[in-house]
Amino acid sequence: MSGAALPPMSAGERWLLRACLWLPLAALVLFFGIPMLSIAWRSVMQDSGGIGWGNYAALLDTPGVRRALSNSLLLGAVTTAVTLLLAFVVAYGMERTCMPGRNFVGMALALPMLAPSLVLGLGLIFLLGRNGIVGKMLGVRPEIYGFWGLLIADVLYALPQAVLIVRTALRQGDARQYDAAEVLGATPWRQFRDITLPQARYGLLSAAFVVFTITITDFGNAVVIGGNFPVLATEIYNQVSGQMKFGMGAVVGLLLLAPAALSIFIERFAARRAGAGAESALPPTPTRRAGRDTAFFFANLVIAGSIVAVVATVVLASFIRLWPYRLDLSLKHYDITIAGGYAPLWTSLWVSALAAIIGTALLFLLCFGIRRLPGPAARAATLLSALPVGVPGLVLGLAYVFTFNAGGMPWGLLYGTAILLALCNYYHYHTQGFVTMMTGMRNVPATLEDATTVLGGGTWRVLRDVVLPALMPTLLAVLVFLFMRSMVTLSAVIFLITPSLPMGAVTVMRLDEAGFTSQAAAFSTCIMAVVGSLALALHLLARKRRPTA
Amino acid sequence: MSLQITDLHKSFEGQVALERITLTVGSAEFVCLLGPSGCGKTTLLRIVAGLLPADGGAITLGERNLATLPARERGFGIVFQSYSLFPHMTVAQNVGYGLAIRNTPATATKARVTELLDMVGLADFVGRYPAQLSGGQQQRVAIARALAVNPSLLLLDEPLSALDARVRADLRHELREVQRRLGIPTIMVTHDQEEAMAMADRVVCMHQGRIEQAGTPRELYLRPRTRFVANFMGHSNLLTPAQAQMLQPTLPGSAPDGMALLCVRPERLRIEARAEAPGRVLGTTFLGSIQRIQVRWHDLDLLVETSSAQPLQPGDTVALGLNADDCAWVQA
Repeated sequence: MSGAALPPMSAGERWLLRACLWLPLAALVLFFGIPMLSIAWRSVMQDSGGIGWGNYAALLDTPGVRRALSNSLLLGAVTTAVTLLLAFVVAYGMERTCMPGRNFVGMALALPMLAPSLVLGLGLIFLLGRNGIVGKMLGVRPEIYGFWGLLIADVLYALPQAVLIVRTALRQGDARQYDAAEVLGATPWRQFRDITLPQARYGLLSAAFVVFTITITDFGNAVVIGGNFPVLATEIYNQVSGQMKFGMGAVVGLLLLAPAALSIFIERFAARRAGAGAESALPPTPTRRAGRDTAFFFANLVIAGSIVAVVATVVLASFIRLWPYRLDLSLKHYDITIAGGYAPLWTSLWVSALAAIIGTALLFLLCFGIRRLPGPAARAATLLSALPVGVPGLVLGLAYVFTFNAGGMPWGLLYGTAILLALCNYYHYHTQGFVTMMTGMRNVPATLEDATTVLGGGTWRVLRDVVLPALMPTLLAVLVFLFMRSMVTLSAVIFLITPSLPMGAVTVMRLDEAGFTSQAAAFSTCIMAVVGSLALALHLLARKRRPTA
Repeated sequence: MSLQITDLHKSFEGQVALERITLTVGSAEFVCLLGPSGCGKTTLLRIVAGLLPADGGAITLGERNLATLPARERGFGIVFQSYSLFPHMTVAQNVGYGLAIRNTPATATKARVTELLDMVGLADFVGRYPAQLSGGQQQRVAIARALAVNPSLLLLDEPLSALDARVRADLRHELREVQRRLGIPTIMVTHDQEEAMAMADRVVCMHQGRIEQAGTPRELYLRPRTRFVANFMGHSNLLTPAQAQMLQPTLPGSAPDGMALLCVRPERLRIEARAEAPGRVLGTTFLGSIQRIQVRWHDLDLLVETSSAQPLQPGDTVALGLNADDCAWVQA
């Protein structure tokens, strides 16, 4: 039997359901599947013409790439180790202690999500750079550019995402295991070693891969604070944008895919091994223990304080006449006339709104289609939807260049349009949106759908009266998520922007490159203000919409 | 109008869910599909509703062929275990939903909604939201919603299973009353044999996708035809012909054709404390009005039910008796 048998329904209804599934699936293939194939194809197309492994061989012979590779590996390893340690301290403090200030730590960790990654690098320069406030006060000129600056910036950038994963792992504990251990006479340290750590094991592993991937593919900080420490992310940009070596760029891009692909594999494995846990597990509630709580409070204060300090410095510096020499307040840096003024900010808003709306609509149709039309197509869509999370923005952007920078082809018309930027940003975050939407879809009461159908309602009524009301909070969450990510992402769009279509995050980078550091800070502040206030507004709206009954 | 199901079959990815089902539901009949989970009863109900396609076979209601008719055009009513009300609509909007779909004028809808809410005893709750009602009240609303459109067939999918014991007993009675008054053919799915016996005109006992036996509750309880039905419909003692003859010498020494075991209900066994008798009480379970007694009789373990007034203690020696009419032969 091919395909799933459908209950009897009119032909119109059947086509409507098919469209729900096939339209977003086609878009997924077109704007994710084909670009990824084209980057693989491009990597075997030699500059001299013909097909072969020339680009791969050249990789090993290019000293720049080799140095960037070893730098990236070193940076990735050290960043991962440091971030994991700090993330565990924060996550454990938030979930398993009664330390004060948990709300503050939570808010501090949300800050890096509101800004382009390079804001952290920018803040570090204002604090610890050659013309930084610390150096000026101590009368020295510290050297922050390079490995150490990049390490701190990447740790601060990756920390919130690592904390999120480790917290989830810690939340899945079962209080009764600790009760049992307590009754059996285990000391707190033993309980930690025998229950907590094994439970968090897979969370830590998965966080490690996420951090490693973020670190080696982050572009913003590498440009801003990397100095003379070349890494793969900047090298790929040089190869493609600087030297027009597309084949080599494709090879490096595929290289960057490796850790993420590995992490998806490990995560699947871990999910199966970890299991769902006991159905009725009681989450552990921490008890007050003065010594432990105080220690975690101070450790968290330092970590969260560093993030706040770095981000706040950027905001502060944008209002200072001449950082750090003339500390009187001024708005002159907000008078941005170079690099297109504020136009890129409006473009970013427009592209992000497009990405959020198109993305949410396509994800909704896709998940509805998968639910109503189970079968091979639905399974293929689910499988394909798991892949984008493993593709770094830089690689996806490059894949888009290879696919859509095709003058003679009809799809080449998309190149350089806001739609293509929006689609790139959406598919960059497709997996996260898909997972959220599917989880929300699972909460739609299936029997209510059936009851509506038996009462005489068609697909349209089921959508309006059952699915949409139950899914509203999820739709809003996906919308906000796609919008925020699209506003601040840099790596995916760096290859796609054109002089007539600049994006906000790219402009910050250009301003900083040109030496207008304070203007870059001002522009970053504007982005953070827009993203922050919109996120807040939608958050309040979501709370108001919650049924009062 | 009566519902006629003929040779209906269905499998999921090679796994047989329904095996050649043939069944008739009379024009005002209350039929219970009874069986353990996985026996195919819910699959059958969903196919009748039009929510699942069948692999083959025929379903007709009166003269109408249902096989290709979409669920939304069948004009049935359905009630699920999980209430399934629209959380963002009031009680009145929920009950009137089917009428709204049929573009019924507002005044007619209002009158019908009032009538139905009166019937289920929720007239004062029109403006409430489902979250403000108890489970039993929500299920009443769901029943009213299903009945509002004058369904030609009422489908109930374990409608009482999520409710407290007391509410369940009340609603069981009410639901049966309403169905009798309106005379709508009804199919209810349940795994609770007591519920099935209390409500149904006819019980259809299902096992592994087949109908084991269909009949009145009394027939199924007193004259089970298979071992499965005997065990599923309450407790039973299953005896070989030789063992049965030891209890009651007038019984034949061999089973009729096709039959293998004799089913004796525990309450049909007479028990009497008597010194030197061949039975011995192993244990008793006090259940309020009755008690259940495990008896070792020769080398047989038997279950007996009597009034709890009869004083029996573990260790007592007892004699057992049986009327030949009180038992039924079942297939192995």
